[in-house]
Amino acid sequence: MSDKKIKVIISKIGLDGHDRGAKVVANLLRKAGMEVIYLGMFQTVEGIVKAVVDEDADVIGISYLSGEHLMFTPLVKAEMEKWGLDDVLFVVGGSFPPEDIPPMIEMGVDKVFRGGTLTDDMVAYIKANVRQKE
Amino acid sequence: MSQDIETESTGKVNWDKFLKDYYAKPQSVRTWSGFDVKEIYTPEDRKEADYGLEVGDSGEYPFTRGIHRNMFRGRYWTRREVVGIGSPADTHERAAYCFKNGGTGLNTIADVTYEMGLDPDHPWAENEVGLTGVNICSIEDMEDLVGNIPLDRVSWSVITASTVAAVTMAQYVAVAQKKGYNISRLRGSIQNDPIHFAYCGFRPACPLDLSIKLGSDVMEFCTKNMPKWYYTTVNMYDLREQGITAPQEIAFGFGIAMCYIDELLRRGLDIDDFAPRFTFYVSCHIDFFEEIAKIRAARRMWAKLIKEKYGAKNPRSMQFRFAVHTSGCSLHPQQPLNNITRISYQSLAAVLGGVQSLHCCSYDEPVCLPTEKGHLQALRTQQIIAYETGVTNVADPLGGSYFVESLTDKMEEEALRIMKQVADIGGMEEAIRTEWLDHQFEKEAVKRQVELDEGEKLTVGVNIFTTEQETETPLGVQRVSSVSTRQQIKDCIKLKETRNHNKVFDAIKHLREDAEENRNTIPAMIKATEVFATTSELMGTVREAYGYSYDPLNILESPFDFSSRTSKAVV
Repeated sequence: MSDKKIKVIISKIGLDGHDRGAKVVANLLRKAGMEVIYLGMFQTVEGIVKAVVDEDADVIGISYLSGEHLMFTPLVKAEMEKWGLDDVLFVVGGSFPPEDIPPMIEMGVDKVFRGGTLTDDMVAYIKANVRQKE
Repeated sequence: MSQDIETESTGKVNWDKFLKDYYAKPQSVRTWSGFDVKEIYTPEDRKEADYGLEVGDSGEYPFTRGIHRNMFRGRYWTRREVVGIGSPADTHERAAYCFKNGGTGLNTIADVTYEMGLDPDHPWAENEVGLTGVNICSIEDMEDLVGNIPLDRVSWSVITASTVAAVTMAQYVAVAQKKGYNISRLRGSIQNDPIHFAYCGFRPACPLDLSIKLGSDVMEFCTKNMPKWYYTTVNMYDLREQGITAPQEIAFGFGIAMCYIDELLRRGLDIDDFAPRFTFYVSCHIDFFEEIAKIRAARRMWAKLIKEKYGAKNPRSMQFRFAVHTSGCSLHPQQPLNNITRISYQSLAAVLGGVQSLHCCSYDEPVCLPTEKGHLQALRTQQIIAYETGVTNVADPLGGSYFVESLTDKMEEEALRIMKQVADIGGMEEAIRTEWLDHQFEKEAVKRQVELDEGEKLTVGVNIFTTEQETETPLGVQRVSSVSTRQQIKDCIKLKETRNHNKVFDAIKHLREDAEENRNTIPAMIKATEVFATTSELMGTVREAYGYSYDPLNILESPFDFSSRTSKAVV
């Protein structure tokens, strides 16, 4: 069925408690017709990826605002690979220097959204790049 | 919506677009918080107001125009940049840099580990120590942070880590006493508002009853022992950063302040014993006049609240003293140098509003921790306003403006309406327990993004006059040294191995008893700090006495077994 809802897991990771952005994105992607599960704060790499597996989600979105993005990104990617989630879209958002965007892409992130991204742009990207389910 | 007015970064001038820009006019005639404003304000808009009753001269009740008669002619505001990075020694170095360049106050900010009340050896701390501020584990760290700063001469706003403010106060006092200071002479402030930290990502660490208990312990202890210390900085700024409006900032901030006031009155203190030591941390967002009006309204409302509701007699109790943190969430990573302009207007609003102490964000705030150059530039913004612009010569220069006075009235009216709403729910404690407050924050945050998405609010570089994404940060990027992080963890582990375990055990047991008997916990925390008990040990022990898990993340258990006089930390 081609009109199946896109399923998105959004999460914070570790101790970073800046959750305004993650909650807003979850809310607005839901309004854009996606099924969104926001895992909340204090999540572990393993727990987040397990949720993606359990929920058979199409997109994983991590929000970083405490400078921890280069630390956690490779861990998330490795855990995704462990579970064979190579067709799950991996996006991140938050506050980081533009210098860190190419390294994150190299680490396996599909798309990085900085603060100030407009919702339409994010929705359009996800719709255009999400895996096509049978 | 902005496609048709976007600049074209290359090629020829688009003359159609040129004409559109030429004829452009404001597309909204509302304030940032959404209030309609008129084309012009005239004496007709001020007919009802009684100057003496509602406005009054600066230095006079209800202090709408400022808390001092002569305002900045007496002294400029304190130019206090927030500093916090990596280890205590790294942070001390940056603080010293600000002092060398004309900073006149210090405000240190903690990392998420300390803010959560964890030690650096916690399994979750490994990736985060020092990333967003300074980590303090023990008295040794506080000593490194203080260094040779003269504590009786420098006004220090100690650590923005409200959850553990009681621990911070104990660590600070322990170091000050060790250095031979008479603590009754110490000047400065502490951000001691644990309630609000539940809204800043630290909810497991600050249950409401414990927040009121520990916050009030600090206030009570300081009332009796540190008369020159400002021991309650109610943090309206962090609330505002959740996306709420200017009147909500006042109403929610005052609601939280009243939780502490009510508890101190229950403990038998008189309002005039402690109200003069209350201060506020206020946001200055991008709507220039609305922010000034908000500050003026807050001053008038606080004076009336403390006098009329709480019966204060001392005019100092009625004075709304405040620091401003320019709005971090109004800054953007797109075209980052533009943030300098935003920050300048915001700090000018703070100064015209009669601020006591100011932190200007650095332009790189939405990108990384401030670089040294970023910090210096922010400090220079303050200095240019103070020394060059001439705006400091006259108290409340906008007082009497038909518009500003009218907007001040509007802010007061709206904030009072929201406070009434909170009172109808059953007060702020109830609004927090029922998560009514959470709902307000979430609703407003979504509204702010929708306004941006739909172009109802225009932001240069974000939804208007956009350009290609930058690849570099103009003045470089601040990184936190992983050497500092690893060393901080090692030092914590070593300290726990080498200190006198019996002394720690006895001091922690004493703290536990004081907490269980509902005595003030600060004296026992100071004693425990002196014998090298750590941040999480102090917090965890009090948490357990109140029926909460030792570790807010519920991973570690208490190393102290009071039934058998052993400590699992003792190897």
